[in-house]
Amino acid sequence: MIRVLGVSGSPHRHGNTERLLDAFLEGAREAGAETEKVVLSSLSYAPCRGCNACHRTGVCIVKDDAIPLLETMAGADVLAIASPIYSMGITAELKGLIDRAQYLWARRTVTNTLEYSPEHLARHRGVFLSTAGSDWPNVFEGSYPVVKALFSGLGFTYAGNIVYNDLDRYGGVQGHPAALSEAKEAGRHEVGALLGR
Amino acid sequence: MPITVLGFAGSPRRHGNSETLLDWVLEAMASEPDVTVEKVVIVDADIRPCRGCNACERTGVCVQHDGMTSLYDRVLEADCVVLAAPIYCMGLAAQTKAFIDRAQVYRSRKYVLHWPVIPEERKGKRLGLFLATAGQAWDHVFDAALPSVKCFYHVAGVRDRDIRNLLVNRVDEAGAVERHPSARADAMALGLEAVVTLRERLGP
Repeated sequence: MIRVLGVSGSPHRHGNTERLLDAFLEGAREAGAETEKVVLSSLSYAPCRGCNACHRTGVCIVKDDAIPLLETMAGADVLAIASPIYSMGITAELKGLIDRAQYLWARRTVTNTLEYSPEHLARHRGVFLSTAGSDWPNVFEGSYPVVKALFSGLGFTYAGNIVYNDLDRYGGVQGHPAALSEAKEAGRHEVGALLGR
Repeated sequence: MPITVLGFAGSPRRHGNSETLLDWVLEAMASEPDVTVEKVVIVDADIRPCRGCNACERTGVCVQHDGMTSLYDRVLEADCVVLAAPIYCMGLAAQTKAFIDRAQVYRSRKYVLHWPVIPEERKGKRLGLFLATAGQAWDHVFDAALPSVKCFYHVAGVRDRDIRNLLVNRVDEAGAVERHPSARADAMALGLEAVVTLRERLGP
């Protein structure tokens, strides 16, 4: 069974980005996957302290919801990371979680205790979903390198972006002519890619 | 005219590389007559993330009451706002991002409510200095952070052309910036240049 995990990084529930994520997960279920959604605002975790203890040990010293969640994320087959754009970037909640993945970077590049094979990367696919009210075409650009850093740490191929801007004009994601159907199709596609369809 | 400078240390690590850059800039500015500098340490200031409730689009103020409440006016009152942050995972440290996201209040005032964010007579006179450090050697390590910083200054009434960046990479462990060949001199020069510019704009 293909496991698809959606992570919603929006502080408010059932907004444009979470609806886009829901459509993606629905498509994944239609393709036969088991799906789960985690809402970051319902969890309790602190941002990274920058203590660099993980650079020596490969382990984060802060005990809260972040590390168990990152371990769950690493265990998914398809990982869908969703965040609205605030001030030209992902939300502070999602950035807080991503910063906590520093211990994975440390394992890969400092302690040299973690390495992902090409086969592993091929079997783990990550997508980024986002929405923005602004009509600027470059509104998502600042998010991609950060999401890429997360997927690299967790051992996922960065398979693509499902992003829609200018949503203020459409009156939200449900008013957009294609966003929800395309997100659903992307969910089907990602599961299909792992099943060799 | 007296010059007021407000500096923000955006790192979770106290007295680390980005805060050291900030200290150098503030020290250079404070050494000039009639310049008052203040430093706010974001990680100690109790600044929660934006909830995305959009209430500020109706009221022009934030519904959350925390360390940010008193900072809203102080940012706008400063002639120079200095923001220092480390790059984590190719972006601003989450604590700094939370601070910037709370500036949504200014955006609501400016674009939704059409209020003057700063008084007419101070427009075009203020400066924003962004100081960042990164462990990575890649020059593009700062690219993803800059749009958010620009966004912050823009809504807080600092024009794009009035933003100066000092970006120092290849500094990771605490204290590394002290061994950097030019960081200290660059930071002091940036602070002094900012005072000269502000003096020209605000008058003697």
